[in-house]
Amino acid sequence: MRHVAIVLGAVILAGTLAGQSVGQNKTYTPPRTPDGQPDLQGVWTNVTITPLERPANLAGKEFFTPAEARQFEKDTVDRNNADRRDGGAQADLSRAYNDAWYDRGTKVVETLRTSLVIDPPDGRIPRVAAQGAAAGPGGFGRPPEGPEDRSLPERCILWPTAGPPMMPSFYNNNYQIVQSPGYVTILVEMIHDARIIPIDSRPHVDSKVRQWMGDSRGHWDGNTLVVETTNFNDKTRFQRSGANMHLVERFTRTAPDTVTYEFTVTDPSAFARPWTAQIPMKRTDGPIIEYACNEGNYAMEGMLAGARADEKKAAAKK
Amino acid sequence: MGKGFVTLLGLAGLLAAVAPAWAHHAFAAEFDAQKPVKLKGTVAKVEFINPHSWIHIDVKDTDGKVTRWMVEGGSPNALFRRGVTKDALPQGTEISVDGYQAKDGSNRANGRDITFADGRKLFVGGSNPDEQPGK
Repeated sequence: MRHVAIVLGAVILAGTLAGQSVGQNKTYTPPRTPDGQPDLQGVWTNVTITPLERPANLAGKEFFTPAEARQFEKDTVDRNNADRRDGGAQADLSRAYNDAWYDRGTKVVETLRTSLVIDPPDGRIPRVAAQGAAAGPGGFGRPPEGPEDRSLPERCILWPTAGPPMMPSFYNNNYQIVQSPGYVTILVEMIHDARIIPIDSRPHVDSKVRQWMGDSRGHWDGNTLVVETTNFNDKTRFQRSGANMHLVERFTRTAPDTVTYEFTVTDPSAFARPWTAQIPMKRTDGPIIEYACNEGNYAMEGMLAGARADEKKAAAKK
Repeated sequence: MGKGFVTLLGLAGLLAAVAPAWAHHAFAAEFDAQKPVKLKGTVAKVEFINPHSWIHIDVKDTDGKVTRWMVEGGSPNALFRRGVTKDALPQGTEISVDGYQAKDGSNRANGRDITFADGRKLFVGGSNPDEQPGK
């Protein structure tokens, strides 16, 4: 019964915080670095099976009950299990390899929210009309003739969820935050990028300068680190946003083992209004393991060889 | 190029609906769903590398001829974090591989389902094969 009361309390608390920044409402006081910054340092994981957007069958339901959460976890883990062999050869091949290689998590977020998107309240990304994208081998409408015709993650350039903004994926959801006077650095395990964020008040680089991970600037709002990122290039896409994306991330240490991470995305060319997601980052064991992606990317050769084999097969049929 | 990225994300969404797992890259671009293979062999070399690991095995046919196959697995990082290392798969270990052959007909396959010769799953539990569940 006490358990129920606590969970109920958490749900009510979480409910009142919907759409607001968590950091300013919590009473937890984080430790400080030697130079007096709120201490966000450590190795953190954002792994969760809570979906980014609320599934259609949960429309109108902002929070799970604890029993619903356990059922959702069980169903999701069963569905995700890569050891299953049903669904035909294509589905089987797309599952790639045994489940032991994956690390997708088994739990929903502690708030029991049904989506990571907390605003708009329907938990859905407010997309403007979809832009058409031609499907084809490699997604480029023609067979890939070289590595540049394959996607960014396949080329080891950027992982779609590695950020900014940073979202959970199916493995390697690990981040190390290091603070030094004037800078916060976030080392991302997936494709091993380090984002170095100045926290003085210097302006963004010139708008003509466009970068894969944008240009980040940080400042402290009480105990919350606020990071604003602009200057993305036109080759990346985050939920259909690209060069126009304006991103604000908020990092708040809300418990000894938790950094509550929120991000707000604004881009009128892709979204009808700004939207916000909230993802807890939980303390985990280090170290971050180097993801030396290009060095071991034998599969690039395999995919290009596959495209040539497809062409030969097509030519033989003529 | 940007358009391609959108398509990949779209594809990921699609796979999430019908087949929830997908890997660092599209396995369907590399391997042929029409060419399922079952291999039994001994481990010659293990490359625990990113983005994906490769297990090299020697497969002996009925005439005693040995062929080297390369078998693609996943990122080793999650395994390391669970304490699994290359010691889990010493040279000479007999394993069974159920997968799909490379589209170009080379001796490569994905390790769709890899087990020890006695059927135990690989990499479940700690790095010592003697500690595998069921043994």
